Amino acid sequence: MSKYISKSVLLLLITVVLVCGLYPAAVWAIGHVFFPFQAEGSLLTGPDGQVVGSKLIAQPFTKDEYFQPRPSAASYDASASASSTLAPSNYALRDRVARMLGPIVRYRSGLKAGQLVAPDIEAWFQEDRYQGQPGIVAQWADLHNGLATAWVNADSTHAAYVDDWVKAHPTVVADWTKANPTTPQPKAADLAVVFFETFSKENPGRFPSAVNKTSADGKPQTAIEPVKDGSDIQSIFFDMWRQDHPDADLQDVPGDMVTTSGAGLDPHITLQNAEYQLDRVAAKWAADTKRDPSVVRSEVDQILQANARAPFGGLAGEELVNVLEVNLELRNRYGAPN
Amino acid sequence: MWILPISMLVVTVLLAIPLSRYMTRIMDGKYRAPGILRWFEDRLNSGPQNWKQYTVSLLTFNTVLFVFGFLVLALQPWMPLNPQHKGMLSPTTIFHTVVSFMTNTDVQHYSGDVHFSNFSQIFFGFTMFFLSASIGFCALTMIIRALRSDSSVGNFFVDMWRVVAYMFLPACLILAILFVQQGSPMTFKSSHEVATLEPSAMGTLDNGQPKPQTIVVGPLAAFVPMKQLGTNGGGFYGMNSAHPFENPTAFTNFLSCVAMMLFPFGLVLMFGRMLNRLKHAWVIFSVMMFFMLGTVVWAIYFDTLKPNPGLTAHPIAQTYQIPDASAPGGKRAVTLPAVAGLPVDQHMGNLEGKELRFGTSAGATFAALTVDVTDGAVNCEHDSLNPIAGLSPYAGMWLNCFFGGKGVGMINMLLFVVIGIFVAGQMVGRTPEYLGKKIGGREMKLAMIALLVHPIMILLPTGLFAGTSWGVKAENNPGAHGFSEILYQFSSSSANNGSAFDGLGVTYGFNNNPSPAPMARQWDIASGLVIVISRFLPIIAPMAMAAFLGAKKSTPFGLGTLRDDTFTFASLLVGTIVIIGALLFLPVAALGPLAEHWGPLPFGG
Repeated sequence: MSKYISKSVLLLLITVVLVCGLYPAAVWAIGHVFFPFQAEGSLLTGPDGQVVGSKLIAQPFTKDEYFQPRPSAASYDASASASSTLAPSNYALRDRVARMLGPIVRYRSGLKAGQLVAPDIEAWFQEDRYQGQPGIVAQWADLHNGLATAWVNADSTHAAYVDDWVKAHPTVVADWTKANPTTPQPKAADLAVVFFETFSKENPGRFPSAVNKTSADGKPQTAIEPVKDGSDIQSIFFDMWRQDHPDADLQDVPGDMVTTSGAGLDPHITLQNAEYQLDRVAAKWAADTKRDPSVVRSEVDQILQANARAPFGGLAGEELVNVLEVNLELRNRYGAPN
Repeated sequence: MWILPISMLVVTVLLAIPLSRYMTRIMDGKYRAPGILRWFEDRLNSGPQNWKQYTVSLLTFNTVLFVFGFLVLALQPWMPLNPQHKGMLSPTTIFHTVVSFMTNTDVQHYSGDVHFSNFSQIFFGFTMFFLSASIGFCALTMIIRALRSDSSVGNFFVDMWRVVAYMFLPACLILAILFVQQGSPMTFKSSHEVATLEPSAMGTLDNGQPKPQTIVVGPLAAFVPMKQLGTNGGGFYGMNSAHPFENPTAFTNFLSCVAMMLFPFGLVLMFGRMLNRLKHAWVIFSVMMFFMLGTVVWAIYFDTLKPNPGLTAHPIAQTYQIPDASAPGGKRAVTLPAVAGLPVDQHMGNLEGKELRFGTSAGATFAALTVDVTDGAVNCEHDSLNPIAGLSPYAGMWLNCFFGGKGVGMINMLLFVVIGIFVAGQMVGRTPEYLGKKIGGREMKLAMIALLVHPIMILLPTGLFAGTSWGVKAENNPGAHGFSEILYQFSSSSANNGSAFDGLGVTYGFNNNPSPAPMARQWDIASGLVIVISRFLPIIAPMAMAAFLGAKKSTPFGLGTLRDDTFTFASLLVGTIVIIGALLFLPVAALGPLAEHWGPLPFGG
């Protein structure tokens, strides 16, 4: 037995020296002699000579001058990769996609072909009828308790707004506590559904949303107020609008534009997705540089086409572009965005 | 669409044929290594062993490995290569991680990029990758030697050394160079801080400065080859082979797939060569390939060729009868209205949780292959696969013999072979024989123990966790999919696979983590125990079975002998596997993926 223990320890020691010492050292040496760029993480340099990121790792872009990468479940944090882990059956997935779609979807055919549906969502919302019943916001909270609760928890100002509402509505809260005896002292999130139900009755065609204002002493500040239009209405209520308008003929948005990737750091988008964003990007650069929009558009398109690559030369997949490389090229050509 | 998986399989088969010849030479001791390597062989040799001594050596070595692994992880805060001063993981997580890696399972209840220093990645990861893969390899070799009635079944320590030094290491070195050329980092630094191209796109710091992007790097190019070759599958990063550094291009994805299949393919042929029954081995190989193709085609058909059903239209209203004690008749009808589709172009299939650079069908292909060979690396999020496509990974884990892991898959297949022959023998009223040895009651008992451990270790804990808050509080998707997450975790643990439905809340994190997943400790311990039991019983029982079979007198080949190298035999084997698999696992499949597929979509929220 002791023989087996000593042989086991010996085997372990030799292996550790070999595979934790010599093997990685050899690969490190080969990597740094022959492929130093890749071995350090494929880091790209920006216009001022500073490292701006890794060619292989997605980073966020918010300005309209840049192409945007796929949404990231990891918030583009390259020190904690993550996927959404949402199952197809989970409503949270459909909700996330619908919120991205609302502000950007356009009609495909008919009188309004090419126009955004967003204004129609707002008009429909202000009429405040869903599936023939009044009270869109109340129905939304009833159908999706989880989303209503998530709204309260999303921001401290949201919770504060509900707390103010609680103070103003003692009888409603008292009725709720009577119906839910297990929660004698409800927090704001517990009351999310009943809050939205009352809110909907008192503010038909409105939704609580952040509004930028100027305070008495001239400082900019945000406050939650009932609003009847804006991005919250367009995104949150797009799916319900869609259910009321199942026959509206809409343009499809590229799939990779609204789905998160496996690691949340996918550096590519499909060429189809890039071309979908092309008008926005080109128009913005044209405005920034005060040049002819059609010329800028063809220049940007050329950059896309020159950067498009398909896995295995097209045998196994579709043409992709690397978002950081393309944006870096735009930045080098047109300077800093306004 | 189909070119990618087909070319992967063809290339691997073409490589496995010559490789199996080389493997046979090494394990039969006919390969003469350079002098210095032979010197180590002599130091390790403790003399010829019988099957019991071989088994005791195997268990002793695993114990030593456990102690070593536990120490490395527990001492992480005091070890070098840890510039971010990462602390110690929770003790239950360390226990789980060590047994998980030691047994070639690599289910991970932590994220490598968040919780491991480079020291732990190297000294824990590399050591476990090489050694755990070799252990299964050696177990199969011992079984083969026992079946051919060798006077000694060899020496465990010499076998281990030969597998590590003469097979894995050279293969790794070649792959590592390809990986670094393609873009996997190879550095001992732990991260880069970069200022993003658009300043403040990551947000701003407290002092008003733009927030940098922190990019974790490490010795990836050396790490990934052995992760794949050894069918280990434990990721350097939380998202494993979906991470752009762990799998930078379509070519590395191709290599990753070939690498994980290479040795499992080769081992089946080595089995045939060492027993001098190559034709029989090819029959087994074909049966395994038949099932593997089935899982790949299934996954691609339902995941790449179909859209994500959560976003599409479901134009017909659905009515469900729901049990309700207060309603008349005890049932209440719930009608879900028709659903209008979202305007999303899904011609590339379900893209949620998929990376683009590997090719359109690469996510589904990888998902099927990684469970078939019990690798457990993932290049897409299995939690987000289309519900019915998810059956493909389940099938791979439940039956665990579509090539299966290093050696262990072939051992599992041997059990099905023995049972198939036994059933066929019963049908024609002859004493069943395998390789000219009569299969007796003792051998059948051992085969059944080894075979039944697996379903018991999946179904019992799944039931326990699904019925209590231990499981319910860990689910992150509602309804049938939450059950699927629990089922997947135990299937993966018991199959020593390592992939996961990542949504399940099983991460405790560092020991001082103020807000761990509420049920993380229960998961660590339960999954760890399942891993240990489902690893060692199904290795040891077949080793004993093979030793008893090998000790019997050979009966000459006669007219009534069931031929084991024919199409009839292959059909018998396929039938045995399908019937046993369906009997054991169809009920849970109905509660999980099938219920999700045919149930209301979308659900909850």
